[in-house]
Amino acid sequence: MQQPIIFAVPKGRILEEALPMLSRAGIVPEPAFTDGKSRALKFATNRADVSLIRVRAFDVATFVAHGAAQIGIVGSDVIDEFDYSELYAPVDLDIGHCRISVAEPAEMAASDDPRSWSHVRVATKYPNLTRKHFSARGVQAECVKLNGAMEIAPSLGLSSRIVDLVSSGKTLQENGLVEVEVIAEVSARLIVNRAAFKTNAAVGALVEAFRAAVDG
Amino acid sequence: MTTGLLPTGFRDRLPPEADASARLVRAVLDTVASFGYERVQTPLAEFEASLTGALGTSSRDLLRFVDPVSGETMAIRSDITGQIGRIAATRMGHHPRPVRLSYGGPVVKLKATQLRPEREMMQVGAELIGLDSVAAATEVVTIALEALKAAGVKDLTLDLTLPDLIDTLLPGTDTAALKARLDAKDIAAVPADFQPLVAAAGPFAEAIARLRAFDARGVLTDRLDAIDAVVAGLPADVRVTLDPTERHGFEYQSWFGFSIFSAHTSGEIGRGGSYRIGGEPAVGFSAYIDPLIDAGLAQSERRRLFLPLGTLPQKAAALRAEGWVTVAALHDGDSAEAQICTHILSNGRPTPIA
Repeated sequence: MQQPIIFAVPKGRILEEALPMLSRAGIVPEPAFTDGKSRALKFATNRADVSLIRVRAFDVATFVAHGAAQIGIVGSDVIDEFDYSELYAPVDLDIGHCRISVAEPAEMAASDDPRSWSHVRVATKYPNLTRKHFSARGVQAECVKLNGAMEIAPSLGLSSRIVDLVSSGKTLQENGLVEVEVIAEVSARLIVNRAAFKTNAAVGALVEAFRAAVDG
Repeated sequence: MTTGLLPTGFRDRLPPEADASARLVRAVLDTVASFGYERVQTPLAEFEASLTGALGTSSRDLLRFVDPVSGETMAIRSDITGQIGRIAATRMGHHPRPVRLSYGGPVVKLKATQLRPEREMMQVGAELIGLDSVAAATEVVTIALEALKAAGVKDLTLDLTLPDLIDTLLPGTDTAALKARLDAKDIAAVPADFQPLVAAAGPFAEAIARLRAFDARGVLTDRLDAIDAVVAGLPADVRVTLDPTERHGFEYQSWFGFSIFSAHTSGEIGRGGSYRIGGEPAVGFSAYIDPLIDAGLAQSERRRLFLPLGTLPQKAAALRAEGWVTVAALHDGDSAEAQICTHILSNGRPTPIA
Protein backbone atom coordinates (compact mmCIF):
# COMPACT_ATOMS: atom_id res chain seq x y z
CA MET A 1 0.00 0.00 0.00
CA GLN A 2 1.60 3.25 -1.11
CA GLN A 3 0.73 6.35 0.93
CA PRO A 4 0.48 9.69 -0.91
CA ILE A 5 3.46 11.96 -0.28
CA ILE A 6 3.01 15.46 1.11
CA PHE A 7 5.93 17.73 0.22
CA ALA A 8 6.24 20.85 2.41
CA VAL A 9 7.94 23.93 0.98
CA PRO A 10 8.55 27.21 2.80
CA LYS A 11 7.04 30.56 1.90
CA GLY A 12 9.53 33.31 1.24
CA ARG A 13 13.27 33.36 0.89
CA ILE A 14 14.04 29.84 -0.31
CA LEU A 15 10.98 29.14 -2.47
CA GLU A 16 12.19 30.83 -5.66
CA GLU A 17 15.45 28.90 -5.72
CA ALA A 18 13.72 25.68 -4.67
CA LEU A 19 11.34 25.50 -7.65
CA PRO A 20 14.01 24.75 -10.31
CA MET A 21 15.43 22.17 -7.91
CA LEU A 22 12.01 20.55 -7.58
CA SER A 23 11.55 20.36 -11.34
CA ARG A 24 15.01 18.83 -11.79
CA ALA A 25 13.92 16.18 -9.27
CA GLY A 26 10.83 15.56 -11.39
CA ILE A 27 8.19 17.52 -9.48
CA VAL A 28 6.30 20.32 -11.24
CA PRO A 29 3.51 22.01 -9.27
CA GLU A 30 0.17 23.00 -10.82
CA PRO A 31 0.02 26.60 -12.15
CA ALA A 32 -1.96 27.85 -9.10
CA PHE A 33 1.14 27.26 -6.99
CA THR A 34 3.06 30.12 -8.56
CA ASP A 35 -0.03 32.33 -8.86
CA GLY A 36 0.43 35.02 -6.22
CA LYS A 37 -3.33 35.54 -5.92
CA SER A 38 -4.14 31.93 -5.08
CA ARG A 39 -5.19 31.43 -1.45
CA ALA A 40 -4.90 27.64 -1.63
CA LEU A 41 -2.50 25.93 0.77
CA LYS A 42 -2.28 22.52 -0.89
CA PHE A 43 -1.40 21.98 -4.54
CA ALA A 44 -1.30 19.08 -6.96
CA THR A 45 1.81 18.28 -9.00
CA ASN A 46 2.59 16.41 -12.22
CA ARG A 47 2.90 13.31 -10.02
CA ALA A 48 -0.38 11.84 -8.80
CA ASP A 49 1.22 10.60 -5.57
CA VAL A 50 2.87 13.91 -4.60
CA SER A 51 1.12 17.07 -3.31
CA LEU A 52 2.79 20.29 -2.24
CA ILE A 53 1.90 22.35 0.81
CA ARG A 54 3.23 25.88 1.25
CA VAL A 55 3.72 26.85 4.89
CA ARG A 56 6.01 29.02 7.02
CA ALA A 57 9.60 27.82 7.17
CA PHE A 58 9.39 26.91 10.86
CA ASP A 59 6.23 24.92 10.19
CA VAL A 60 7.89 22.92 7.40
CA ALA A 61 10.13 21.32 10.02
CA THR A 62 7.21 20.71 12.38
CA PHE A 63 4.96 19.15 9.71
CA VAL A 64 7.74 16.83 8.58
CA ALA A 65 8.93 15.91 12.09
CA HIS A 66 5.40 14.86 13.05
CA GLY A 67 4.96 12.91 9.84
CA ALA A 68 2.08 15.13 8.67
CA ALA A 69 4.27 15.83 5.65
CA GLN A 70 6.81 13.22 4.60
CA ILE A 71 9.39 15.41 2.92
CA GLY A 72 10.24 19.10 2.73
CA ILE A 73 12.72 21.85 2.02
CA VAL A 74 13.91 24.16 4.77
CA GLY A 75 16.94 26.17 5.85
CA SER A 76 19.45 24.56 8.21
CA ASP A 77 18.73 27.43 10.64
CA VAL A 78 15.24 26.00 11.23
CA ILE A 79 16.54 22.43 11.56
CA ASP A 80 19.08 23.53 14.17
CA GLU A 81 16.51 25.58 16.07
CA PHE A 82 14.13 22.64 16.58
CA ASP A 83 16.65 19.81 16.70
CA TYR A 84 13.75 17.36 16.08
CA SER A 85 14.75 13.74 16.60
CA GLU A 86 12.48 12.50 13.80
CA LEU A 87 13.97 14.69 11.09
CA TYR A 88 16.64 13.65 8.60
CA ALA A 89 18.52 16.17 6.45
CA PRO A 90 20.10 13.82 3.90
CA VAL A 91 20.70 16.32 1.07
CA ASP A 92 22.33 19.76 1.19
CA LEU A 93 20.57 21.54 -1.69
CA ASP A 94 23.26 24.22 -1.92
CA ILE A 95 20.69 27.00 -2.29
CA GLY A 96 19.41 29.74 0.03
CA HIS A 97 22.85 30.49 1.40
CA CYS A 98 23.20 32.95 4.28
CA ARG A 99 24.47 32.86 7.86
CA ILE A 100 23.01 33.16 11.31
CA SER A 101 24.86 35.80 13.31
CA VAL A 102 24.96 37.91 16.43
CA ALA A 103 24.63 41.63 15.74
CA GLU A 104 24.69 44.72 17.93
CA PRO A 105 24.55 48.52 17.53
CA ALA A 106 27.63 49.93 15.81
CA GLU A 107 28.51 52.27 18.66
CA MET A 108 28.35 49.40 21.15
CA ALA A 109 30.47 47.18 18.92
CA ALA A 110 33.20 49.81 18.84
CA SER A 111 34.16 49.09 22.43
CA ASP A 112 32.76 45.58 22.85
CA ASP A 113 34.82 42.41 23.16
CA PRO A 114 32.68 39.27 22.66
CA ARG A 115 35.25 37.21 24.59
CA SER A 116 34.39 38.97 27.85
CA TRP A 117 30.62 38.37 27.74
CA SER A 118 29.06 36.51 30.69
CA HIS A 119 25.42 37.39 30.13
CA VAL A 120 23.65 38.71 27.05
CA ARG A 121 20.10 39.76 26.33
CA VAL A 122 19.16 38.80 22.79
CA ALA A 123 16.10 39.36 20.63
CA THR A 124 15.69 36.50 18.19
CA LYS A 125 13.48 34.14 16.22
CA TYR A 126 15.84 31.35 17.28
CA PRO A 127 15.82 31.10 21.10
CA ASN A 128 16.98 27.45 21.29
CA LEU A 129 19.79 27.83 18.80
CA THR A 130 20.87 31.08 20.49
CA ARG A 131 20.86 29.58 23.98
CA LYS A 132 22.79 26.52 22.77
CA HIS A 133 25.39 28.63 21.02
CA PHE A 134 26.00 30.87 24.00
CA SER A 135 25.95 28.14 26.65
CA ALA A 136 28.59 26.22 24.65
CA ARG A 137 30.89 29.20 25.09
CA GLY A 138 29.95 29.76 28.73
CA VAL A 139 27.65 32.73 28.24
CA GLN A 140 24.19 32.89 29.73
CA ALA A 141 21.71 34.12 27.11
CA GLU A 142 18.39 35.64 28.01
CA CYS A 143 16.27 35.42 24.87
CA VAL A 144 13.34 37.56 23.83
CA LYS A 145 11.41 35.61 21.21
CA LEU A 146 10.27 37.75 18.28
CA ASN A 147 8.72 36.62 15.02
CA GLY A 148 10.22 39.30 12.81
CA ALA A 149 11.78 42.79 12.66
CA MET A 150 14.48 41.85 15.17
CA GLU A 151 16.58 44.71 13.83
CA ILE A 152 14.59 47.39 15.64
CA ALA A 153 14.86 45.71 19.06
CA PRO A 154 18.20 47.24 20.11
CA SER A 155 17.22 50.81 19.18
CA LEU A 156 14.02 50.51 21.25
CA GLY A 157 15.79 49.02 24.26
CA LEU A 158 14.12 45.60 24.02
CA SER A 159 17.50 43.89 23.98
CA SER A 160 21.09 44.94 23.45
CA ARG A 161 21.81 42.36 20.75
CA ILE A 162 20.01 40.27 18.15
CA VAL A 163 20.56 36.87 16.55
CA ASP A 164 19.21 36.69 13.01
CA LEU A 165 19.86 35.58 9.46
CA VAL A 166 22.30 37.75 7.53
CA SER A 167 22.84 37.51 3.81
CA SER A 168 24.05 40.84 2.38
CA GLY A 169 24.12 42.69 5.70
CA LYS A 170 22.11 45.53 4.21
CA THR A 171 19.19 45.34 6.67
CA LEU A 172 21.61 45.39 9.60
CA GLN A 173 23.40 48.40 8.19
CA GLU A 174 20.18 50.33 7.63
CA ASN A 175 19.31 49.81 11.29
CA GLY A 176 22.71 50.83 12.63
CA LEU A 177 23.77 47.30 13.53
CA VAL A 178 26.96 45.38 12.85
CA GLU A 179 27.62 41.65 12.76
CA VAL A 180 29.96 40.65 15.61
CA GLU A 181 29.85 36.86 15.61
CA VAL A 182 28.83 34.21 13.07
CA ILE A 183 26.99 31.30 14.71
CA ALA A 184 26.57 29.10 11.66
CA GLU A 185 26.53 29.08 7.88
CA VAL A 186 23.06 28.33 6.57
CA SER A 187 21.86 26.57 3.43
CA ALA A 188 18.62 24.91 2.41
CA ARG A 189 18.30 21.18 3.03
CA LEU A 190 16.00 18.44 1.86
CA ILE A 191 14.40 17.04 5.01
CA VAL A 192 12.49 13.79 5.41
CA ASN A 193 10.47 12.23 8.18
CA ARG A 194 12.41 9.36 9.74
CA ALA A 195 9.59 6.82 9.66
CA ALA A 196 8.52 7.77 6.12
CA PHE A 197 12.11 7.44 4.92
CA LYS A 198 12.28 3.91 6.27
CA THR A 199 8.81 2.67 5.39
CA ASN A 200 7.97 4.39 2.10
CA ALA A 201 10.18 3.42 -0.84
CA ALA A 202 8.90 6.39 -2.89
CA VAL A 203 10.32 8.78 -0.28
CA GLY A 204 13.71 7.09 -0.56
CA ALA A 205 13.51 7.43 -4.35
CA LEU A 206 12.76 11.16 -4.04
CA VAL A 207 15.82 11.60 -1.82
CA GLU A 208 17.90 9.92 -4.53
CA ALA A 209 16.34 12.19 -7.17
CA PHE A 210 17.31 15.30 -5.20
CA ARG A 211 20.80 13.96 -4.60
CA ALA A 212 21.15 13.59 -8.38
CA ALA A 213 19.57 17.03 -8.98
CA VAL A 214 22.18 18.69 -6.74
CA ASP A 215 25.11 16.79 -8.25
CA GLY A 216 23.95 17.23 -11.85
CA MET B 1 -8.54 19.96 41.49
CA THR B 2 -12.14 19.17 40.65
CA THR B 3 -11.60 19.25 36.88
CA GLY B 4 -9.58 16.03 36.91
CA LEU B 5 -6.59 17.66 35.22
CA LEU B 6 -3.67 15.22 35.03
CA PRO B 7 0.05 16.08 34.87
CA THR B 8 1.39 16.59 31.33
CA GLY B 9 1.93 13.30 29.54
CA PHE B 10 -0.38 11.20 31.72
CA ARG B 11 -3.84 10.02 30.73
CA ASP B 12 -6.85 7.95 31.71
CA ARG B 13 -7.92 5.20 29.36
CA LEU B 14 -11.68 4.75 29.23
CA PRO B 15 -13.72 1.96 27.66
CA PRO B 16 -13.14 0.61 25.07
CA GLU B 17 -9.49 1.78 24.91
CA ALA B 18 -8.51 0.22 28.23
CA ASP B 19 -9.84 -3.08 26.91
CA ALA B 20 -7.85 -2.66 23.70
CA SER B 21 -4.71 -2.06 25.75
CA ALA B 22 -5.21 -5.25 27.74
CA ARG B 23 -5.95 -7.19 24.56
CA LEU B 24 -2.77 -5.95 22.83
CA VAL B 25 -0.60 -6.78 25.83
CA ARG B 26 -2.20 -10.20 26.00
CA ALA B 27 -1.69 -10.89 22.28
CA VAL B 28 2.01 -10.02 22.48
CA LEU B 29 2.68 -11.93 25.70
CA ASP B 30 0.72 -15.03 24.63
CA THR B 31 2.73 -15.18 21.41
CA VAL B 32 6.12 -14.86 23.08
CA ALA B 33 4.99 -17.35 25.76
CA SER B 34 4.34 -19.87 22.99
CA PHE B 35 8.04 -19.56 22.08
CA GLY B 36 9.06 -20.38 25.66
CA TYR B 37 9.45 -16.86 27.06
CA GLU B 38 8.08 -16.94 30.60
CA ARG B 39 6.57 -13.89 32.19
CA VAL B 40 8.15 -12.08 35.12
CA GLN B 41 6.85 -9.07 37.03
CA THR B 42 9.21 -6.41 38.22
CA PRO B 43 8.48 -3.58 40.66
CA LEU B 44 7.26 -0.19 39.49
CA ALA B 45 10.00 1.54 41.51
CA GLU B 46 13.47 0.54 42.63
CA PHE B 47 16.57 2.09 44.12
CA GLU B 48 17.93 4.56 41.61
CA ALA B 49 21.34 2.88 41.61
CA SER B 50 19.96 -0.44 40.36
CA LEU B 51 17.93 1.21 37.59
CA THR B 52 20.84 3.28 36.31
CA GLY B 53 23.57 0.66 36.78
CA ALA B 54 22.46 -2.03 34.38
CA LEU B 55 22.22 -0.42 30.93
CA GLY B 56 23.68 3.02 31.36
CA THR B 57 20.28 4.70 31.82
CA SER B 58 20.91 8.27 32.89
CA SER B 59 19.45 9.21 36.27
CA ARG B 60 18.40 12.47 34.61
CA ASP B 61 15.77 10.56 32.64
CA LEU B 62 14.20 9.04 35.77
CA LEU B 63 11.46 10.35 38.04
CA ARG B 64 13.30 10.21 41.39
CA PHE B 65 12.42 10.71 45.03
CA VAL B 66 13.80 9.85 48.44
CA ASP B 67 12.51 6.63 50.01
CA PRO B 68 11.39 7.69 53.51
CA VAL B 69 12.05 4.15 54.80
CA SER B 70 15.66 3.59 53.68
CA GLY B 71 16.69 7.19 53.06
CA GLU B 72 18.00 6.09 49.65
CA THR B 73 16.97 7.64 46.33
CA MET B 74 14.29 5.63 44.55
CA ALA B 75 13.13 5.98 40.97
CA ILE B 76 10.23 4.83 38.84
CA ARG B 77 11.34 2.54 36.04
CA SER B 78 11.73 4.08 32.59
CA ASP B 79 12.55 0.76 30.89
CA ILE B 80 11.86 -2.78 32.10
CA THR B 81 14.78 -4.31 30.16
CA GLY B 82 17.33 -3.42 32.84
CA GLN B 83 15.14 -4.95 35.54
CA ILE B 84 15.00 -8.22 33.57
CA GLY B 85 18.80 -8.18 33.41
CA ARG B 86 18.97 -7.70 37.18
CA ILE B 87 16.69 -10.70 37.74
CA ALA B 88 18.68 -12.84 35.29
CA ALA B 89 21.98 -11.94 36.95
CA THR B 90 20.83 -12.38 40.55
CA ARG B 91 17.78 -14.50 41.39
CA MET B 92 17.98 -16.48 38.18
CA GLY B 93 21.78 -16.44 37.96
CA HIS B 94 21.88 -20.21 38.60
CA HIS B 95 19.43 -21.07 35.79
CA PRO B 96 20.94 -22.70 32.69
CA ARG B 97 21.53 -20.30 29.78
CA PRO B 98 19.96 -18.98 27.71
CA VAL B 99 17.12 -17.74 29.94
CA ARG B 100 13.97 -16.61 28.13
CA LEU B 101 11.81 -14.03 29.93
CA SER B 102 8.92 -11.75 29.01
CA TYR B 103 7.24 -8.79 30.66
CA GLY B 104 4.60 -6.11 30.29
CA GLY B 105 3.84 -3.03 32.34
CA PRO B 106 3.83 0.74 32.51
CA VAL B 107 7.04 2.79 32.47
CA VAL B 108 7.49 6.50 33.19
CA LYS B 109 9.77 8.98 31.48
CA LEU B 110 10.79 12.13 33.31
CA LYS B 111 10.36 14.38 30.30
CA ALA B 112 8.27 14.27 27.18
CA THR B 113 8.97 15.91 23.83
CA GLN B 114 6.63 17.63 21.42
CA LEU B 115 6.88 14.61 19.15
CA ARG B 116 6.33 12.04 21.91
CA PRO B 117 4.20 13.88 24.45
CA GLU B 118 3.28 10.88 26.60
CA ARG B 119 5.27 10.29 29.78
CA GLU B 120 3.64 7.04 30.84
CA MET B 121 3.83 4.20 28.35
CA MET B 122 2.90 0.53 28.29
CA GLN B 123 6.02 -1.51 27.52
CA VAL B 124 5.75 -5.15 26.45
CA GLY B 125 8.68 -7.32 25.49
CA ALA B 126 10.88 -10.36 25.76
CA GLU B 127 14.57 -10.91 26.51
CA LEU B 128 16.89 -13.84 25.74
CA ILE B 129 19.78 -13.74 28.19
CA GLY B 130 23.05 -15.62 27.86
CA LEU B 131 23.45 -15.64 24.08
CA ASP B 132 23.67 -13.06 21.28
CA SER B 133 24.46 -15.28 18.29
CA VAL B 134 22.83 -15.10 14.86
CA ALA B 135 20.43 -17.85 15.95
CA ALA B 136 19.46 -15.87 19.06
CA ALA B 137 18.97 -12.65 17.08
CA THR B 138 16.88 -14.45 14.45
CA GLU B 139 14.65 -15.95 17.15
CA VAL B 140 14.06 -12.61 18.88
CA VAL B 141 13.28 -10.74 15.63
CA THR B 142 10.95 -13.57 14.61
CA ILE B 143 8.99 -13.54 17.88
CA ALA B 144 8.80 -9.74 17.81
CA LEU B 145 7.27 -9.82 14.33
CA GLU B 146 4.98 -12.75 15.18
CA ALA B 147 3.81 -11.04 18.37
CA LEU B 148 2.94 -7.80 16.58
CA LYS B 149 1.16 -9.67 13.80
CA ALA B 150 -0.85 -11.54 16.45
CA ALA B 151 -1.77 -8.14 17.90
CA GLY B 152 -3.22 -7.21 14.49
CA VAL B 153 -0.43 -4.91 13.31
CA LYS B 154 -0.33 -4.61 9.52
CA ASP B 155 2.34 -3.72 6.94
CA LEU B 156 5.38 -4.27 9.11
CA THR B 157 8.73 -2.73 8.19
CA LEU B 158 11.81 -4.06 9.95
CA ASP B 159 14.69 -1.58 10.00
CA LEU B 160 18.04 -3.12 10.92
CA THR B 161 21.06 -1.28 12.18
CA LEU B 162 24.61 -1.85 13.40
CA PRO B 163 24.70 0.05 16.70
CA ASP B 164 28.47 -0.28 17.30
CA LEU B 165 29.43 0.42 13.67
CA ILE B 166 31.26 3.69 14.28
CA ASP B 167 33.09 2.33 17.33
CA THR B 168 34.25 -0.61 15.19
CA LEU B 169 35.46 1.69 12.41
CA LEU B 170 37.11 4.17 14.77
CA PRO B 171 38.13 2.25 17.89
CA GLY B 172 39.36 4.28 20.82
CA THR B 173 38.24 7.71 19.58
CA ASP B 174 35.57 10.07 20.82
CA THR B 175 32.77 9.56 18.31
CA ALA B 176 29.79 11.10 20.10
CA ALA B 177 29.49 14.13 17.79
CA LEU B 178 29.93 12.05 14.62
CA LYS B 179 27.29 9.56 15.78
CA ALA B 180 24.81 12.34 16.50
CA ARG B 181 25.31 13.82 13.03
CA LEU B 182 25.03 10.45 11.33
CA ASP B 183 21.87 9.71 13.31
CA ALA B 184 20.33 12.97 12.13
CA LYS B 185 21.58 12.19 8.59
CA ASP B 186 22.77 15.78 8.62
CA ILE B 187 24.74 15.35 5.42
CA ALA B 188 26.37 18.78 5.45
CA ALA B 189 27.88 18.11 8.91
CA VAL B 190 29.12 14.58 8.18
CA PRO B 191 32.76 14.24 7.03
CA ALA B 192 33.06 13.12 3.39
CA ASP B 193 34.56 9.75 4.43
CA PHE B 194 31.35 8.83 6.21
CA GLN B 195 28.79 10.26 3.78
CA PRO B 196 28.42 6.88 2.01
CA LEU B 197 26.97 5.55 5.28
CA VAL B 198 24.10 8.03 5.05
CA ALA B 199 23.50 7.16 1.40
CA ALA B 200 23.63 3.45 2.22
CA ALA B 201 20.36 3.51 4.18
CA GLY B 202 17.47 1.91 2.35
CA PRO B 203 15.94 -1.41 1.27
CA PHE B 204 18.04 -4.26 2.66
CA ALA B 205 19.53 -5.81 -0.48
CA GLU B 206 20.79 -2.51 -1.94
CA ALA B 207 21.83 -1.14 1.45
CA ILE B 208 23.99 -4.10 2.39
CA ALA B 209 25.62 -4.09 -1.06
CA ARG B 210 26.50 -0.41 -0.63
CA LEU B 211 27.80 -1.09 2.85
CA ARG B 212 30.02 -3.92 1.58
CA ALA B 213 31.38 -1.53 -1.06
CA PHE B 214 32.03 1.09 1.64
CA ASP B 215 33.85 -1.49 3.78
CA ALA B 216 36.90 -1.78 1.50
CA ARG B 217 39.14 -2.72 4.45
CA GLY B 218 36.93 -5.67 5.38
CA VAL B 219 36.54 -4.53 9.02
CA LEU B 220 32.80 -5.13 8.90
CA THR B 221 32.70 -8.39 6.95
CA ASP B 222 31.81 -10.55 10.00
CA ARG B 223 29.05 -8.21 11.08
CA LEU B 224 27.54 -7.88 7.61
CA ASP B 225 27.61 -11.67 7.14
CA ALA B 226 25.82 -12.06 10.47
CA ILE B 227 23.11 -9.55 9.50
CA ASP B 228 22.70 -11.29 6.16
CA ALA B 229 22.21 -14.58 8.00
CA VAL B 230 19.58 -13.07 10.31
CA VAL B 231 17.61 -11.65 7.36
CA ALA B 232 17.79 -14.99 5.52
CA GLY B 233 15.95 -16.58 8.44
CA LEU B 234 13.04 -14.10 8.52
CA PRO B 235 9.51 -14.43 7.12
CA ALA B 236 9.19 -13.09 3.55
CA ASP B 237 6.11 -10.92 4.13
CA VAL B 238 7.99 -8.23 6.04
CA ARG B 239 9.68 -5.31 4.32
CA VAL B 240 13.30 -5.18 5.53
CA THR B 241 15.48 -2.06 5.39
CA LEU B 242 18.97 -1.38 6.69
CA ASP B 243 20.13 1.88 8.17
CA PRO B 244 23.75 1.50 9.28
CA THR B 245 23.86 4.69 11.34
CA GLU B 246 20.48 4.62 13.11
CA ARG B 247 20.99 5.56 16.79
CA HIS B 248 17.46 6.32 18.03
CA GLY B 249 17.06 4.33 21.22
CA PHE B 250 20.19 2.23 20.60
CA GLU B 251 22.31 3.61 23.40
CA TYR B 252 23.40 0.26 24.77
CA GLN B 253 23.07 -2.24 21.90
CA SER B 254 26.13 -4.01 20.44
CA TRP B 255 26.42 -5.65 17.00
CA PHE B 256 22.77 -5.83 16.06
CA GLY B 257 19.72 -3.63 16.47
CA PHE B 258 16.28 -3.34 14.90
CA SER B 259 13.24 -1.06 14.89
CA ILE B 260 9.78 -2.05 13.77
CA PHE B 261 7.46 0.35 11.92
CA SER B 262 3.90 -0.17 10.75
CA ALA B 263 1.24 1.48 8.64
CA HIS B 264 -0.78 2.43 11.73
CA THR B 265 1.39 5.12 13.17
CA SER B 266 4.34 7.29 12.29
CA GLY B 267 7.30 6.43 14.48
CA GLU B 268 8.43 2.98 15.55
CA ILE B 269 6.23 0.66 17.57
CA GLY B 270 9.01 -1.58 18.80
CA ARG B 271 12.75 -1.99 18.88
CA GLY B 272 15.36 -4.40 20.08
CA GLY B 273 18.81 -5.81 19.56
CA SER B 274 21.82 -7.41 21.16
CA TYR B 275 23.48 -6.00 24.27
CA ARG B 276 25.54 -6.98 27.29
CA ILE B 277 24.10 -7.00 30.77
CA GLY B 278 26.03 -7.90 33.90
CA GLY B 279 28.84 -9.28 31.73
CA GLU B 280 26.45 -11.53 29.80
CA PRO B 281 25.39 -11.27 26.16
CA ALA B 282 21.66 -10.89 25.54
CA VAL B 283 19.11 -10.14 22.80
CA GLY B 284 15.66 -8.69 23.36
CA PHE B 285 12.86 -6.53 22.06
CA SER B 286 10.30 -4.12 23.47
CA ALA B 287 7.10 -2.77 21.96
CA TYR B 288 5.32 0.37 23.09
CA ILE B 289 1.67 -0.25 22.36
CA ASP B 290 0.02 3.10 23.15
CA PRO B 291 0.27 4.47 19.58
CA LEU B 292 -1.44 1.28 18.38
CA ILE B 293 -4.35 1.84 20.75
CA ASP B 294 -4.63 5.43 19.54
CA ALA B 295 -4.68 4.08 15.97
CA GLY B 296 -7.76 2.06 16.89
CA LEU B 297 -6.21 -1.39 16.95
CA ALA B 298 -7.74 -4.26 18.96
CA GLN B 299 -11.07 -2.52 19.42
CA SER B 300 -13.67 -5.21 19.22
CA GLU B 301 -17.31 -4.65 18.47
CA ARG B 302 -19.16 -3.89 21.69
CA ARG B 303 -22.01 -6.41 21.91
CA ARG B 304 -23.77 -5.63 25.19
CA LEU B 305 -27.06 -7.34 25.97
CA PHE B 306 -29.48 -5.56 28.31
CA LEU B 307 -31.33 -7.90 30.71
CA PRO B 308 -34.62 -6.36 31.92
CA LEU B 309 -35.60 -6.68 35.59
CA GLY B 310 -36.73 -10.16 36.46
CA THR B 311 -34.48 -12.05 34.02
CA LEU B 312 -33.64 -15.40 35.60
CA PRO B 313 -30.00 -15.81 36.71
CA GLN B 314 -29.83 -19.17 34.90
CA LYS B 315 -30.97 -17.56 31.66
CA ALA B 316 -28.32 -14.82 32.07
CA ALA B 317 -25.59 -17.39 32.74
CA ALA B 318 -26.61 -19.34 29.63
CA LEU B 319 -26.39 -16.18 27.50
CA ARG B 320 -22.94 -15.36 28.86
CA ALA B 321 -21.87 -18.90 28.06
CA GLU B 322 -22.95 -18.18 24.46
CA GLY B 323 -20.54 -15.25 24.44
CA TRP B 324 -22.86 -12.35 25.27
CA VAL B 325 -21.83 -9.53 27.55
CA THR B 326 -24.86 -9.18 29.83
CA VAL B 327 -25.80 -5.96 31.58
CA ALA B 328 -28.52 -6.47 34.16
CA ALA B 329 -31.09 -3.81 35.00
CA LEU B 330 -30.86 -3.09 38.73
CA HIS B 331 -33.79 -0.68 39.09
CA ASP B 332 -36.99 0.36 37.32
CA GLY B 333 -35.63 3.48 35.67
CA ASP B 334 -32.76 1.69 33.94
CA SER B 335 -32.78 1.27 30.16
CA ALA B 336 -30.73 -0.38 27.44
CA GLU B 337 -29.85 3.07 26.08
CA ALA B 338 -28.51 4.31 29.41
CA GLN B 339 -26.30 1.22 29.68
CA ILE B 340 -25.02 1.67 26.09
CA CYS B 341 -26.32 -1.75 25.06
CA THR B 342 -26.51 -2.96 21.49
CA HIS B 343 -29.13 -5.65 22.19
CA ILE B 344 -32.03 -6.19 24.57
CA LEU B 345 -33.51 -9.47 25.81
CA SER B 346 -37.10 -9.63 24.69
CA ASN B 347 -39.28 -12.75 24.56
CA GLY B 348 -36.27 -14.69 25.77
CA ARG B 349 -34.16 -13.73 22.73
CA PRO B 350 -31.44 -11.10 22.20
CA THR B 351 -32.91 -8.47 19.86
CA PRO B 352 -30.81 -5.74 18.23
CA ILE B 353 -31.68 -2.20 19.27
CA ALA B 354 -32.46 -0.14 16.19
